[in-house]
Amino acid sequence: MSYDRETSSAKIHSQARDAGESVTRGIGNWVPPGLDHRQEAKWTAWAFSLSLLYSLRFFLALFQARDSLFLQAGAEKILDVNAVMPDFILLLRDSLIGFPMTALGAAALLAYHYFYHFQGSKSIYLMRRLPRRLELVRRCAALPLLTAAAALLAAGLLLALYFGIYLLVTPETCLSSGQWDKIWNVLR
Amino acid sequence: MLKLHNVSKSYNWKPALKQVDLCLSPGEIVGLFGENGAGKTTLLKCILGYLPFDGEITLDGHPITRANIARVSFATCEHSFFPNLTAAAHREFYELHFPAFRSKRFHGLMDFFELPANKALRHFSTGQKNQFEVILALSQGADYILMDEPFAGNDVFNREDFYKVLLGILEPSETVFLSTHLLAEVENFISRAVLIHRGRIVGDMTTQELEDSGRTLMGYVKETYQYKSDRVSKALSDLTGERQEEL
Repeated sequence: MSYDRETSSAKIHSQARDAGESVTRGIGNWVPPGLDHRQEAKWTAWAFSLSLLYSLRFFLALFQARDSLFLQAGAEKILDVNAVMPDFILLLRDSLIGFPMTALGAAALLAYHYFYHFQGSKSIYLMRRLPRRLELVRRCAALPLLTAAAALLAAGLLLALYFGIYLLVTPETCLSSGQWDKIWNVLR
Repeated sequence: MLKLHNVSKSYNWKPALKQVDLCLSPGEIVGLFGENGAGKTTLLKCILGYLPFDGEITLDGHPITRANIARVSFATCEHSFFPNLTAAAHREFYELHFPAFRSKRFHGLMDFFELPANKALRHFSTGQKNQFEVILALSQGADYILMDEPFAGNDVFNREDFYKVLLGILEPSETVFLSTHLLAEVENFISRAVLIHRGRIVGDMTTQELEDSGRTLMGYVKETYQYKSDRVSKALSDLTGERQEEL
């Protein structure tokens, strides 16, 4: 079977060919050559989905706390004027923990990308003698850093969104002051 | 010219290379010989900048950096390709990173060795992997091609083919620095033999000089390493004697 005339094995090894096709273009240009980036993308999507799902437990706490602000009077609910809504940060607890954990996972991915160059061969030798100085770093770090940044950004956005919802559903008279300061104190 | 001046390297205070001086001129095919642990691989890795070292290594007067590293290629028995990629994908990768990549040579060698283009390298046999490793080193477009035991695992016919092809395709400006144990096989292929022993260069002769002095490469190596030809018979005799005593 010659290099030029090869046809049938191309179909058999289509997965390998796919990896080959994308090695210098698209996402394949941003990961170690031959790495199964689709699998990594699936795991990342799972991590984000689970983090988002876990964060929804905030709403359970929020609506339970909101319910406790009201007194039952027959069939109606009346706002207890002395009731105070728990602080946002207390209700949030660890609802967003999935995102920093995903960011940590991305750091582990960076290490995996580097050690990938020692699996099955020493492709690290080739990567270390490429004329482009940052090629190895770029391919090892780009996606993990992007994933980590996206995870932290998602956590920040959800924090803002959930806080907005907290303010929206909490009666003004039940809201304790200094919410921003309390959030900031925890973040620090 | 690739020049090594006073190159020394130690691993945890244990010297691996001791004040190595060596010059490789364009067009030479140089064999690097030495026992296991003599420093052959360390020497090649120092040239490629994989290991820190004392001394100076220059390529046409300039230190080897990213600016001129493309002029040096490397084939190793440990393999430096990507096992999950196909040969075609490697070509694409090399063409991107090495502008002088010899596409015609790559295709010619792939055809000659009948290697599949669209099969991931992890599915290749050991012999095929070695062939592909050398093909990449020869096709990179480098002036200095360093090879570290590149044919370990290939059968003798395969190696013979490679030597012939190498001699046929190398251009006058291309230099090969080949580390191997296969003395007899490369004798007619190399133009110069460098012997290394315990980190020191202990011999350096052209094959022409060897021929003129009426010596073979094997003879030169044995002479330089002070090989004791009666070593085996003496050991056997000692062992047999011991056995007789035991009986």
